[in-house]
Amino acid sequence: MTSSDTQNNKTLAAMKNFAEQYAKRTDTYFCSDLSVTAVVIEGLARHKEELGSPLCPCRHYEDKEAEVKNTFWNCPCVPMRERKECHCMLFLTPDNDFAGDAQDIPMETLEEVKASMA
Amino acid sequence: SLLEITDAEFEQETQGQTKPVLVYFWASWCGPCRLMAPAIQAIAKDYGDKLKVLKLEVDPNPAAVAQCKVEGVPALRLFKNNELVMTHEGAIAKPKLLELLKEELDFI
Repeated sequence: MTSSDTQNNKTLAAMKNFAEQYAKRTDTYFCSDLSVTAVVIEGLARHKEELGSPLCPCRHYEDKEAEVKNTFWNCPCVPMRERKECHCMLFLTPDNDFAGDAQDIPMETLEEVKASMA
Repeated sequence: SLLEITDAEFEQETQGQTKPVLVYFWASWCGPCRLMAPAIQAIAKDYGDKLKVLKLEVDPNPAAVAQCKVEGVPALRLFKNNELVMTHEGAIAKPKLLELLKEELDFI
């Protein structure tokens, strides 16, 4: 394993930890299909490494660096903090059709999804 | 059938079409796009004779994204006779997607 892989895994573990803690703190749940959650966490980790901040991976930006500075779409984004609206479906309120009952995700699920998309 | 296109083909594939055109915008690290993909594929298969279904990845195709004013993904745009008649953002289940399309397409 290279040092960049190690860094990559550390960032992924940090994002996983953030997502689990934040779901518990806000009474929100992961998607019933945990591969959706895994893809988003990996997307956030990539942005964190590339840009320094976990910019939402479910949006298009003309200028990602400018968006990071703007902070609106850095996870947890303003709509999530204000209204529990996460269009990326990482944090779902229990009434959402797609909400599951988990607030934790196994590292293996993250690694499997990451490997499947490499 | 579901056709994956790029900026270069966007104009040609959406304008001057006899069939209505449904465009699906996605991004690789977008979780809800994974939920949406099977429904888009099914619609392309079930209604392919009457509806053209296109797929575009947002990051490599900024021109089409700008033209369609896509901000969040997954996003849908429906064109009929060169005109944009329906837009949607966010993942929805297949029955809800069919209902949306039904408002504009009499064959659904």
